[in-house]
Order: sequence, then structure tokens, then C-alpha cells
Amino acid sequence: MKREITRSLAIAAAALLAASAATAQRGRGAGPAVAFDPHDISGYWELSFDSRHVPPAALATTVTPAFRAAKRKQDEYATRWCNWIGMPAAMDATRPIDIRQGRREIVMNFETIATPRHIFLDRPIHIGKDVYDATTMGDSIARWEGETLVVDTVGFDGAKGLSAIPGGGFRTSDSHLVERYRLVGNGAVLAVTFTWSDPKVYRTPHTYEYRYYRAPASYEAQPPIWCDPFDEARTAFLAGSTSRGGGNQPRSPGAR
Amino acid sequence: MEITRAAAVATSFAKATVTREVRYRSVLAVVIAAIGITGDYTRAQQSNLPDIEGTWVRLDTVGAGSFGAVNALTGNAVLTPEAAAAAAAGRQGGGGLRPGLVADDNKPHAAGEPYVVTDGSCTLPGGLEPNSSAFHIIQSKDEVLIVRENPGLHRTIYMDGRTHPDLSRWRPTVVGHSVGRYENGTFVIETVGLTPGGVPGGGRRTADTQLTERYTLSADGRRLTMTYTWNDSKIYQKPHTYQIVAERQPADSWPFEDWCDSGDPTQRTSVIPPKQIP
Repeated sequence: MKREITRSLAIAAAALLAASAATAQRGRGAGPAVAFDPHDISGYWELSFDSRHVPPAALATTVTPAFRAAKRKQDEYATRWCNWIGMPAAMDATRPIDIRQGRREIVMNFETIATPRHIFLDRPIHIGKDVYDATTMGDSIARWEGETLVVDTVGFDGAKGLSAIPGGGFRTSDSHLVERYRLVGNGAVLAVTFTWSDPKVYRTPHTYEYRYYRAPASYEAQPPIWCDPFDEARTAFLAGSTSRGGGNQPRSPGAR
Repeated sequence: MEITRAAAVATSFAKATVTREVRYRSVLAVVIAAIGITGDYTRAQQSNLPDIEGTWVRLDTVGAGSFGAVNALTGNAVLTPEAAAAAAAGRQGGGGLRPGLVADDNKPHAAGEPYVVTDGSCTLPGGLEPNSSAFHIIQSKDEVLIVRENPGLHRTIYMDGRTHPDLSRWRPTVVGHSVGRYENGTFVIETVGLTPGGVPGGGRRTADTQLTERYTLSADGRRLTMTYTWNDSKIYQKPHTYQIVAERQPADSWPFEDWCDSGDPTQRTSVIPPKQIP
């Protein structure tokens, strides 16, 4: 009888250890502690040093040195003035991205200077160009194809935010982005392929893939690092000149 | 052509609705099974959760949308003598301006008299109550997000059963730390860890002040009544309560991007009051 109790206790302890180990491994790509729904990408997702597979883009001949210089200048301006960065920079986050899937809409909230992304699940067509004011995030609609969420985005404003696209090229007002989201690694990894089409920028559609790791379930959202366009030390740093101020003064909005 | 397109959208929407209906029924069956097996109260609540997801716009029924008339909605907070004295001292000292405001002198200005109210900064702090911009509510299993269509921190309400953090290790923010639950069809949010400052209706708050919000949906699903109750025995003689009502936006509406560019010189342009019509 005593042996039975000891055995039961040992089994219970082993189960607890296994559960806690599984919990501790969340965010390491080792699989979530509980069963996951392949049709729900909700969670906090973060990139790591090995998260990006980005081949070089086949740029169109219209991407002249002058075109590149103008786009580089636009991106420098957006950085200098703390403009909302938009797509695709927001998806290249240095902090976890909060993705929440509701009944009709998915929202992505970023811990950086970016507006949230709204991805509509219940709207089969884009808002008409005649009424839609282009944005740094664009107009996104999505549908499930098996266990892959396909997100289709148009309506970008090419003149605002950070326009550089990984692998080469730039977001313009004619850009068309198709993303394919798929949970892999037993739900611990969110694999996303990005395919940009834009005849003014690419000879052929440009595709690259990011793999986001699921952050621990206990993660707490943090305010973005404060971006102060009137911080002279920051401005001098960005311009590459020396500064007596000693560098940026990171703060949080709302914590002032 | 437009009729064909509208018909296609309607057909597509109808198909999507039917598909959703089937999926919801399946989900409901799974939830019922889960309750039967585990007795999990949280899952029981899921089947009864109010559908507050969508785009909402604050609906002020009094005050014509002016900032000064907000007290008509909120009433006046009944402060403790100590809190009243601190509030008066704060007013004397200027009370601290919202980031970006440079000259909030709170004086009337004659028509044609220019005055500057902003330094051009676009990084506004955000806040708890909805403002004049639309806001979106997204309900997921572990979290509810409330995001405004203008700059600032957005609200994260944890639904996974976690508790508030130790406030001695928490850096206060304008949205604090929020946990939520559903109670008989009402969405309830508990918030602490807020930055010290003012509360509508002459109230005050510190990081220890507790805010309870109760979101109730009207029977037709078109109105959301948000009841705010502030509790802090060091500040209030009785809980300070007020309500804000929001109206649901049409299902085919879309979010605006409230673009703001600190590098644009017009961002710092003076306000010039127009001539008033008698």
C-alpha cells in the first residue's frame, strides 16, 4: 500500500515536472504546453537572430540610383521625425508583436512607433481606391486556406514611413503584399512568407520568410521606447555628427 | 456594374455567415463538451461572452463634444480634504501639461488672436477613456485589445487569469495594468499601476488607485455603455463613477490612420480663433 502511494506521488511529481518544463520551454520553439488551434495565431511573437530568410530581390530597371536616393531620403526623414514606420518595418520588430485574433478582425499591436495593423476576416474585397485614404499599413483582408492564413494588402501610402523592403526594393503606393501565416513546430513558431509585387520596383514578385517564436504566455506588453523628434542628441547621432548630450534619452510615452 | 459587385459581395457575405454559423456551432459543441469534462468555469464564460468586438465611436449626448463640458457627463468627484488640497496645489503649479502642449493657458482668446498649443510632437501618451477618435475592441481567448485610431499607448486587458504585478516593481503608464473577466454578459476590467494625474470630473489618481470598468452591450448590440468607477480611500470620500456611451460603427467601415508628422512646420501652427457668429 505504502509502495502504491509512493509510486502515485512519483508519477504525479514527474507529471508536474514535465508540465513545468514544457511551460519553461515556451518561446524556445519547443512547443506549447497545451494543444494549439492551427486557426488561431493569437499570441506574442518575436524574431530571433535566425528568424529571417531573405533572398535578394530582382529589381526592375526603373529602380534607378535617383529612385533609391529619394527613397533613402524618405526613410531618413521618417526616422528623424519619429514618423509611424508602417509596413514592412513594423513586422521586423525588435520586440514581441501582439497578435490577437477576434471573430471578424485580427489586430497586430507593435511595441514601436507604428499604428496597429487591422486585418479583416469578414470582408472579401478591398475598400475602393476612390474612398480609401492610403496608409502606412494598407488595407488588409484575410482568408484561411486550410491551415494557412492568407493576408492580402493594398492601399499603401508610398510616401510615408519607412519604405525599405528586406532584400531590396521599396514600398510604394502601387505595392501589393500577400502574406501567408502558418503555425509550425507544434504551435511554437509562426512562419510567415511575404510576397511583394510592384511592377515599378520588381521584375518578379519578391518573396522572403520570417519565423516568429512564441513568447512565454506570461509575457507583459511593454510601452515602446519613446521617440522624441526634438531630442538634439538623437538628431545629431542620426546625422552621424558628435554630440555633447551623451546620446538618446529613452523614455516611455505615458510614463511621463 | 455596381449592382453586380454589390450582389457578389452580398452572396459572399451570406456564404461567410453560413460558414461562420456552422463553425460557431462546432465550437459551441466543443465548449459544452469541455465544460462537461473539466468543469472549467472560464470556458463556461466563453459561451456567454458579450460580442463587443468591432469599431466604436464615443457618443457624447451632452456638451456638444467640447472638452470643458465633460464634467456634465462625469459629475464632480468627492475628494478627501487631503486630496482636495493636493489638487488645488497642483492647479496652482500648473498641474503639468500633456506632452506636446506648450501653452495651455486656459484663457479665452479673442477672434483673430493667435496662440500656440502644441510643440509639434506627435507622440501623444494615449489614455483610458475613448477620445474623439474611433477605437477597436478585439476579443481573443487570453486577451482583449482596445486600440485607438490615434497615437498613444493602446490597452491590453489580460483574460488568462493572471493577477496584477507587484506595483513596487511596475513602471506606471497612462493605461496601467489591466485584467478582465466576463460577469453575466458584462465585460469587467480592473486596472491599477496608472501614472499619477487627473481623472474626469475633478478626480485624481495615483499608481495605487483602482479603476473598475464595466462594459455593457445594449440589447440591439449597437450601444456600449462603459461605466468607470475609481476607488482610492486616500483620494475619494466615495467611489467616483461616471459613464461614457459608444456607438458601434457599420460592419463595412475601416480604420483611419491619424497621420501626424512632427517634421511638418504646419504641425506647430498657431490656433487662430474664428470670428464668432452672434
